[in-house]
Amino acid sequence: MTLLAHAIAASPPATLSQEGLRGRPLAWSEAGDLGLWSTEWAPDIKLERPDALEHHRLVERICAAQPCLPVRFGTAFATSDDARASLDKRAAALHAALTRVAGKTELALTLLWRDSPGPLLIKSAAGPGRQYMEARRAEFAAREARRARAETMVDRVVAELAIDRQLVWHETCTSDNVAVSLAVLVPTERAAERKAELERVAARFPDVIPVLNGPWPPYTFARTE
Amino acid sequence: MKELTAEDTSLLELVDRLLNKGVVLAGEATISVAGIDLIYLGLNVVLAAVETIGKAQERRAS
Repeated sequence: MTLLAHAIAASPPATLSQEGLRGRPLAWSEAGDLGLWSTEWAPDIKLERPDALEHHRLVERICAAQPCLPVRFGTAFATSDDARASLDKRAAALHAALTRVAGKTELALTLLWRDSPGPLLIKSAAGPGRQYMEARRAEFAAREARRARAETMVDRVVAELAIDRQLVWHETCTSDNVAVSLAVLVPTERAAERKAELERVAARFPDVIPVLNGPWPPYTFARTE
Repeated sequence: MKELTAEDTSLLELVDRLLNKGVVLAGEATISVAGIDLIYLGLNVVLAAVETIGKAQERRAS
């Protein structure tokens, strides 16, 4: 039997339905004052995409019952002893992360560019080599301008919502479509209010389409390394 | 470039979190969808995959 990990929480474990992924038993492996919620899995059963979404729903259920750290989907342990040893090894860091996320939830804001970067037309009487270099330079300048614009939008969101920078994670221009991917950790009881505020600020940017998600378990803020 | 809908974006952001965020413990499982291992692939790669699928569909349709 394998244990498919879902979330780490402090003991004692909350009272939860004993149903894990695909209706298999949900298990609690305790190590000191920490424990791991996992599904009793069979190594020959292959994980599929619906399992990832069900893992998300399970983590949501666990987080609603007690503060928890979501574990990266697909992490499995051969035995309960292996799971306990893994928790023991990083107990201090896990405690610190649990304290950081306790009572908080994650909101996600993605800003999508309204327009794709268009083809750059360089008019020049110069030879093809020079034209090529000018085109490259113009492309680079356009890319940098987009990145600077994306960072400005992030600064504006953080300033207008008066968010502590420690509670914000972001990336800019991760693909041609995406200007900003941002996550913010907010108090669970204020999640709806903060989400509405994020929506209001993001709607003022004319060049992007905002997509708001969450509240979610604190995936982005659960890392310990 | 394939236009991303809000639904695409929400799903990709969630998948990115499930596969790339959260506590990293020593584990041994891998997941695959349509024969492609997804664990440890970032949002960029997932987005690239969406764009590739979109282009392939366009090619098939033409």
